[in-house]
Amino acid sequence: MSEELIDQVKQLIIDSLRIEGMNPADIETDAPLFGEGLGLDSIDALQLVVAMEKDFGVVVPDAATGSKVFQSVRSMAEYITEHRK
Amino acid sequence: MNCFMFPGQPLLRSELLPRDDDFDAIRELAGRRALFDLDGFSWLGEEGTESVKLQIYGVAMSLYHARRLRRQGIKPGLMAEHSMGIYPAMAACGSLSEGEVLELTFRAGCCMAQMGKSRQYALGCVIGLTLEPLLAIAENNEVYLANHNTSRHFLLSGERKNMEEAEAEAFACGAFSVKIFPCDAPLHSPLMAEVEGEMRAIFAGYRYREPAFPLMDHIDQDYLTAADLQDFMARELLLPVYWERTCHALRAAGAGSFFEVGVGDSLKKYNRWIDNEAK
Repeated sequence: MSEELIDQVKQLIIDSLRIEGMNPADIETDAPLFGEGLGLDSIDALQLVVAMEKDFGVVVPDAATGSKVFQSVRSMAEYITEHRK
Repeated sequence: MNCFMFPGQPLLRSELLPRDDDFDAIRELAGRRALFDLDGFSWLGEEGTESVKLQIYGVAMSLYHARRLRRQGIKPGLMAEHSMGIYPAMAACGSLSEGEVLELTFRAGCCMAQMGKSRQYALGCVIGLTLEPLLAIAENNEVYLANHNTSRHFLLSGERKNMEEAEAEAFACGAFSVKIFPCDAPLHSPLMAEVEGEMRAIFAGYRYREPAFPLMDHIDQDYLTAADLQDFMARELLLPVYWERTCHALRAAGAGSFFEVGVGDSLKKYNRWIDNEAK
């Protein structure tokens, strides 16, 4: 998994969630995205699902899968690497 | 143009409360007019339910944030409300005082809580499905559309056992997420007709002044006048909140900057989704 993909995922999070004043470098690759991390919720999760499908052609079918995929930037990048068409 | 958006009842309370003169004033009012201690999240007199606690907390925090925005010199060109966000919105518009709004919230909440003594009700937050399958699920399980927040974010309302069946069907239909929240009353559904008369009597106990700012309602996207407020508060108990179309109407009316005046940022997130789809 490349650092380039990690940065792309960070940018996807910033752009799709319109997080103002944040750069990719501000997001820790292994930090939790929900709860104590970036504080994302299920509304954000669906926004990320749509963005991942649009940008990478990767489908996250349900919240159970999403809870694993959206654990961190790294887990998102790993999922994209495994499922990218 | 600035738009102040007043959210509905929060589902959780924040552990951290502000510490300043504005919060002190709101805390004092909540204690005196709603018999509720914001610091201890507990009743000072006649006890209400957990849902009523959250309703008073949500309204109090909206009143606080409205004060802070005023203090920062940020003025609204337009106001909008989601569900019980109408209560603090009325205070921000000058139609009622902050104290009256807190008292009204307590009285209305206690009235609605009577419904929960004889039946168990729940709200179901469904994310990921579109409207058509969502409405079919609601009809199949005798629950009701309570919030149409975005094209993929809805709230259902009804009896708890029916909601659990609706939850299972929603997952089977491919919903991304479904969460059930117990509540005192089936808000925004025809089942609320059971307490409509008592609620109208409560709303009739106040004198409403003309809103000082345009205040858009979430049912018809009309601007509410002082004469409309009582009837609107009664109607909205029985009808869904249409936030998606309210967001479009606010944009069409010239709203450019949105301020969520209350707990959380759900309305901003709905708007983000709606704006993305509109592009």
